[in-house]
Amino acid sequence: MRGFGGSAPDDGRKAALPITVGIVVWLVSGLVATGTPYDLRVLTVAGIYALGALGYQLIFGFAGALSLAQGSFFGLGAYVTAILGTRYGLDGAATLPLAMLVPTALALVVSLPVMRLQSHYVALATLGIGQVVSLVAIHWISVTGGSNGLAGVPGFAVFGFAVPRGVPLCLVVWALVGLGVLGAAWLGRGRRGLVLAQMRADPVVARSLGIDTTRLGVGLFLASAAYGGAAGALMAHTQHVVSPAAVGFGMMVSFLTMCVVGGRGRIAGAVLGAVLLVHLPEWLRGFAEAERLLYGLGLLAAIVLAPEGLVGLIEAAGARLVGGRRAPGERARPAPAAPLPAAAAAPAPLVVERLSRRYGGIRAVDDLSLTIAPGSLVGVIGPNGSGKTTLVNLITGLAEPDAGVVRLGDRRLSGRAPERIARLGVARSFQAGGLPGGLTAAEAVVVALASGTPARVARACLDRVGAGEVAEVPCAALPAGARRRVELARLLARAPRVLLLDEPAAGLDADERARLAELLVAERRQGRSLVVVEHDVPFLAAIADRVICLDRGRLVFDGPAAAVAADPAVRAAYLGCAP
Amino acid sequence: MAQLLVNGLALGAAYALVALGFVLIVNATGAVNFAQGDLVVAGGFLAVAAAPLVPVPALVLVPAVAALMAVIGLVLSLVAYLPLSRRPPVAVFISTIAAGLILENGVLVLFGPAPRSAPPLIGGGVVELGGLVVARQSLAIIGVAVALIAGQQLLFHRTQLGRWLRATAQDAEIARACGIPVVSMVLLTFALAAAYAGTAGLLLANQFFITPSDGGDLMLRAYIAVTIGGWGSVGGAVAGAVLIAVFETVVAARLGHPVATGLLYGVVLVILAVRPRGLFGEAAGRRA
Repeated sequence: MRGFGGSAPDDGRKAALPITVGIVVWLVSGLVATGTPYDLRVLTVAGIYALGALGYQLIFGFAGALSLAQGSFFGLGAYVTAILGTRYGLDGAATLPLAMLVPTALALVVSLPVMRLQSHYVALATLGIGQVVSLVAIHWISVTGGSNGLAGVPGFAVFGFAVPRGVPLCLVVWALVGLGVLGAAWLGRGRRGLVLAQMRADPVVARSLGIDTTRLGVGLFLASAAYGGAAGALMAHTQHVVSPAAVGFGMMVSFLTMCVVGGRGRIAGAVLGAVLLVHLPEWLRGFAEAERLLYGLGLLAAIVLAPEGLVGLIEAAGARLVGGRRAPGERARPAPAAPLPAAAAAPAPLVVERLSRRYGGIRAVDDLSLTIAPGSLVGVIGPNGSGKTTLVNLITGLAEPDAGVVRLGDRRLSGRAPERIARLGVARSFQAGGLPGGLTAAEAVVVALASGTPARVARACLDRVGAGEVAEVPCAALPAGARRRVELARLLARAPRVLLLDEPAAGLDADERARLAELLVAERRQGRSLVVVEHDVPFLAAIADRVICLDRGRLVFDGPAAAVAADPAVRAAYLGCAP
Repeated sequence: MAQLLVNGLALGAAYALVALGFVLIVNATGAVNFAQGDLVVAGGFLAVAAAPLVPVPALVLVPAVAALMAVIGLVLSLVAYLPLSRRPPVAVFISTIAAGLILENGVLVLFGPAPRSAPPLIGGGVVELGGLVVARQSLAIIGVAVALIAGQQLLFHRTQLGRWLRATAQDAEIARACGIPVVSMVLLTFALAAAYAGTAGLLLANQFFITPSDGGDLMLRAYIAVTIGGWGSVGGAVAGAVLIAVFETVVAARLGHPVATGLLYGVVLVILAVRPRGLFGEAAGRRA
């Protein structure tokens, strides 16, 4: 299952942040200078929602997970604050940290199982958590006040110094929003930002590149809970009342709407969305009953008409002002001299021992044994459905074997997560590549580099596969042949000991095939082991040391490429008659 | 106990209709329809609004509500699915959240927040069946639901249209290559899902009352049913729905509703933690 990938190309994105920050600063300063107490109150509430929406942007926009627990984190923070404030007379110095801590602790407990799930279960699991929190809020009357909630929460104060309502409170809230923006910007900057783009575009491909998507997802989930809790604490101190509505699904939908309307994945989007949607009912007085109806319409309009949100529209306008997208190649600079990354560990044989995997009644891989020596190139052929891709999946950890084991040297690969296997020096390609459309080719390769490797090495990898001239072109704009080359560069950036390629020649023309063959032979000379799944036997014959043929999950041929076409078992596999 | 079981089965029959529509949309679009519960509510309130216009055996309302709801489902798919058909499924998740919000608050503005009830299908009261006293309405709910589920099975497995619908659900790309009008099939699936959800609303609104904010809980029940029954499995969704309803009814009778609901979500969270692909694995293929 894919995330929602496909963000806009980067052009204009740099212009959007100052523009939006400018708008918000203008709004805040204007209101603080001239606003009525009521205006200030609305602006304060907008700031609180902005903080909660920023947190939601971390998990929903950055990690690409459809969590539906942000309302629960917010409400939990509000309840913690209300209970501490009314029962124990604690002020913001204690309530704010604790209101952040409690939702984060809840997030920690549920995150490990939740972040492993596919997106449709993430939504369900987080909804379920929300329902349980909601039930507790309504029915644990002695602590939460039941349906009536808790009233008389003291105003915001720090170490006994009360922050007066109006301008001071508004400024404190917006200062915290500023801190939140800085935190989110830090979380999404540099290489981590690129890695997150890959994770959103295709989490499976991301893991095969050695990215620990679970850890990233858990980290951002915890951060989103802390942000939500802080917003809840501020809301309790500002409204002085907390009711079960604070933990309800309605609150969750508000944060979702703010992020989508403002611009998914954009920090400025969360802030702009919150300001807009909190003020919208104020601007449309008289529609008070239908406020939620407007939220629904706004959300629908945004997702259909402006999938990148308001900030996306601003970016697009900015890019047009700057002069549209640059022509491919225009930004290409002479390649800086950088050596390709060398394999981190010594070459080792890849050993497959009695490997089996069933899907329902079908034996996709059946008692298969195989050894691939370092520096050898093995071609894998077989009719459709003979288990070639399953074999690659079993070696790289995307599928678990029912029986048997895969080893690289003395390390057992089976049973490890895909990203662990990738980090042991196994790299693989996919039939459909999963390049993040919004990143440039060079950025997409940087994602695959081991951390600490200088980013210019990415250029060397692109040059190696003859894709240096498209380094600055967004992946979404690359033609098919160039895409495959960028994918290959990405694999070289992993400095793999074992390279598994699933139909690398598919869709390439004769010239491109010849260049690919040359490259693969050169990589083998570096001591890498290559496993190439292909239908094109002449292509394999020219480069492979040996070819294996699979039929219904079994190994029916293992020998020199020259002999494969004449082998009766291979002919039987393809033609379907008994040997 | 047997009494309780019949009540649970009646509730389960209605849930099954909701879950059935839910899983059909999952298969056809790869997306979750968050508005499914609000479609149930809309059907319930359509029945409430239409009740004064028809004589009491409200069985005649079933086709009328189903037809009107099919139109609503068609509109839903035109607005919330069609513009997003080329985008990742998560976009449809979000657009249906929005559509659900619109439906819920539309009903709220029109009817107010109070619980309402629709007329009974074949009259109120009870009948005796082999020493068991059973509400007429419970039997009627079970009867209508079984007929509708059988109808769906016949449509999908015995007609050419059904083959097209199944082909679309299985692999839209291949179906399109075979010349099947995939977009029309998806729209039809939405219409069918809405009709079944709306009918469930009509069935539920007599015994259990209905309020505009019930949609979320009903949607979650369907979501859970499909997860328990194996993501993408139609039969599993129906079985899951019945299981949930019986569990809820029996536990609620002993320990009260909040505990029953809490326990249900608790069990689901544990299932997801232990079996990340649901209790019986996934029937829907990985659409990577």
